[in-house]
Amino acid sequence: MTDAKKRLNSQEFAQTVSEEMITSRSFWADARRRFLGHRLAVFSIFMLLALLLFAIFGHAFAQWSYEEIDWNVLGRIKTEGGPNWENGHYFGVDELGRDLFARVVQGSRTSLMVGFVAGPLAVLLGATLGALAGYFGGRLDQFIVGFYTIWISIPYIIFFVVWQAFFGRSLTQMILVIILVNWTAGLLIVRGQVMMLKNREFVDAARMLGMSDFAIIFKHLAPNILWVIVIYTSIVIPEVIMAESLVSFLGVGIQEPNTSWGALISEGAKTMTFGTLWQLGYPAAFFVIAQVSLYYIGDGLRDALDPKDRR
Amino acid sequence: MFNYTLRRILTVVPTLLVLIIFSFYLMRLAPGGPFTSEKPLPPAVMKNVLERYGMDQPLYVQLWTYIKNIVFHFDFGPSFSQKDRTVNDVIAQGFPVTLTYGFWSAVFVLVLGIPLGIVAALRHNSFWDYTMTGLAIFSQIFPNFVLAPILVLLFTLSWGLLPGGGWNGGQWEYIIMPAIALGTSYMAGVARLTRGSMLEVLNAPFILTARSKGLPERTIIWRHALKPALLPTLTYMGPVFVYMITGSVFIDVFFSTGGIGQDFIDGAYSRDYAMLLGLAVLYSLLTFTLNLLLDLMYAWIDPKVRSNL
Amino acid sequence: MTLLSVKNLKIRFRSGDGKIHAVNDVSFDMAQGQKLALVGESGSGKSQIALAIMGLLARNAEVEGEILYDGRNLLDLSRSELNRLRAKEIALIFQDPMSSLNPYMTIERQLGEVVELHEGASRSAARKRALDVMDAVKIPDAKNRLKAYPHEFSGGMRQRIVIAMALICKPRLILADEPTTALDVTVQAQIMALLDDIQRDMGTAVLLITHDLGVVAGFCEDTMVLYGGRMMEAAPTLSLFDAPGHPYTRGLLRAVPRITEDDAELSAIPGSPPNQTGAPTACPFAPRCVDAIAECHRILPTMQDGRACIRPVEELT
Repeated sequence: MTDAKKRLNSQEFAQTVSEEMITSRSFWADARRRFLGHRLAVFSIFMLLALLLFAIFGHAFAQWSYEEIDWNVLGRIKTEGGPNWENGHYFGVDELGRDLFARVVQGSRTSLMVGFVAGPLAVLLGATLGALAGYFGGRLDQFIVGFYTIWISIPYIIFFVVWQAFFGRSLTQMILVIILVNWTAGLLIVRGQVMMLKNREFVDAARMLGMSDFAIIFKHLAPNILWVIVIYTSIVIPEVIMAESLVSFLGVGIQEPNTSWGALISEGAKTMTFGTLWQLGYPAAFFVIAQVSLYYIGDGLRDALDPKDRR
Repeated sequence: MFNYTLRRILTVVPTLLVLIIFSFYLMRLAPGGPFTSEKPLPPAVMKNVLERYGMDQPLYVQLWTYIKNIVFHFDFGPSFSQKDRTVNDVIAQGFPVTLTYGFWSAVFVLVLGIPLGIVAALRHNSFWDYTMTGLAIFSQIFPNFVLAPILVLLFTLSWGLLPGGGWNGGQWEYIIMPAIALGTSYMAGVARLTRGSMLEVLNAPFILTARSKGLPERTIIWRHALKPALLPTLTYMGPVFVYMITGSVFIDVFFSTGGIGQDFIDGAYSRDYAMLLGLAVLYSLLTFTLNLLLDLMYAWIDPKVRSNL
Repeated sequence: MTLLSVKNLKIRFRSGDGKIHAVNDVSFDMAQGQKLALVGESGSGKSQIALAIMGLLARNAEVEGEILYDGRNLLDLSRSELNRLRAKEIALIFQDPMSSLNPYMTIERQLGEVVELHEGASRSAARKRALDVMDAVKIPDAKNRLKAYPHEFSGGMRQRIVIAMALICKPRLILADEPTTALDVTVQAQIMALLDDIQRDMGTAVLLITHDLGVVAGFCEDTMVLYGGRMMEAAPTLSLFDAPGHPYTRGLLRAVPRITEDDAELSAIPGSPPNQTGAPTACPFAPRCVDAIAECHRILPTMQDGRACIRPVEELT
């Protein structure tokens, strides 16, 4: 999606959009109509909803908790630990004899929680900094952009590993470090948009009416850059889920017995040599379904909101 | 050009300083340390150990010594967790491994990605074009840590064609899967980007000029279209290298290559300050070097950029 | 002797909303060394005629009719046969010198590759030729600018390079598609003077494609006027300017500013260019024509005595 990002950051693009936003009142109504015309995106919304329902209510259907060990199958996991409706292990058990269905529910909870909390917060932080840089310009702008340039050239894994190792591996820490790593998303484009918009008449008018800078940013500029934030959030959420899964795979992610898709895939990958393929298959399938759905939802949102894609 | 290069190298210095100082304090301020364990060491021994690693000094003195040693001796200090090994030893042993398959992975990304993108653009809406689009979406969904187990499942467990891990002095069988697992999604990204920019360039007026000269199609593509079509790809390689470095940590762990990624993760677990800091500096240096090379390459290709340097 | 003969040329483009009839039944002849102007508004199909002659139409184009060059129908030639004619026999000068030069190649290479291709010249011979032709189009200090890239030249200089590129193999026919549109007025005059000089020296035939009658006046012996992809009028330039025989030509001439008659009012032709979807059934200009009668909206006029209009000249306003 890097090329999408690159294009969103271009100057002419910002121009087109700011023109359009101000002239067209039915922007969001049009966008909704266009989005609903994108069949894969609409289908993906349903898939994602199903995943969310699964994560929220899944435990109610599980016969086992995600922590307890089924001593009956332990030691014979390869032969008897597979998916089985009779003993209540719908997805089989993991290598420690814990119910994989319950663990996938729990993993979905963690991964989706990280994605849908950390992703939007990171974009929001970046957008706020971008708006400040664009609005006030000068030293503040130089400082923020300079910091941004340095930040994006450092491989994020460094922060992840160092932070997680030293400050513990709770869900809160995970969300915190993900925001820390991803705050750069959307910063440049919001900055560009604000720089473009701040010279418009309606901002001058607001200033003459005595509105404070912050009121102008939040009341007048924010609605006009909301679409950027929406697009970026749709790009960042799957990336964040991916990043969380990667560090969990490396063993510096979420702490046991809590789990996530990445941690489950990691465990499954370690045991696949023994032929217990369901331990890899189920978590990987959920992960892939989530990524596909999020990809097409993002695609649909870009089609709907990105003025250049409309013909 | 020379001045530009020099200027770029000079901006790396403060960046690295900020990184070192930030990570240094972050690690030291965190609770616990490399020598805290469940059974506390006797005070005398503890004092001894701390003295040996210079940790009895005030923090800023330690920081100063650390930076001084790097600058004057390129010495990252002794490892706190691996007995009798310095961070330099670990780098000397593991870094060549990571660099080797990283290099082959980059070769794989470019040598396969670029031609695939070009073919897809030239045979627009053909079988190749659709294959490539499919591959691009596939690789978006199967990141390296999903792809790697699948590869091992197929090539090692099912067909027994390739070893599922290890390094063995860097024989080619041991390099293939790490390189492919690391590179596939970026290869698809490169292909998609090259396809897009090639399509755009082929519609440019100067291509029509080239056609009006009577040049054969092959010459038009090689001589006139290729360079401008590759510029966006080159820009894209910057973030790709950053992502690939991140990915290499995973590859080192998953394939037990013996590369520095494993040491980095181990260092995090054992709170090996020197190891973590040293490898973080190394990773950052690598990123800066690659980005600088890319920018110079860009300037070499694009005369407009060159004359502005 | 006839060099180029276009007969009943039709160009259509397939598009989502049906076929666009860009050029309809256009015929004309060009003698060796002749300077002919093709005049029309943008969208009148004039550039497409040039592209059709070069065999460079877009992929969704359908062509009918004949384009005879030296007796051979260009539309029947294979791509490699066409390639041998391009630049060597027929050269094209593009409208926008900013984008029609390759920004990543030196001027020397862009000029030289033409000679290398068509005459098998060596690199050093090609450099020599590039230098000669740059001198011919009066690029100052050409020797030191061979290694320069397009962005290092001004717009006027770039257009000179584009012209040099067209001249380098001494073609017998040059198609100049709006060669001065993108330039300042003073530079426009210089470029046209240059084209005139070269044309006289080399005896090349020039098909000048433009929307600007002012450019035509000083340059071409004959003029054709195109509207909606159809010929409206064809006449020697002088008589066309003196006594335009078609309402559209009259409108065009009224829209040209003249320094000599400062009291004359400038007037634009009302309305907008026609929608060319579907085959034409009536005079395409009728909806905008001040002289149109009911017949005009029903009958498709053909060229007679150099004009395609059913109303007699005397009755026009």
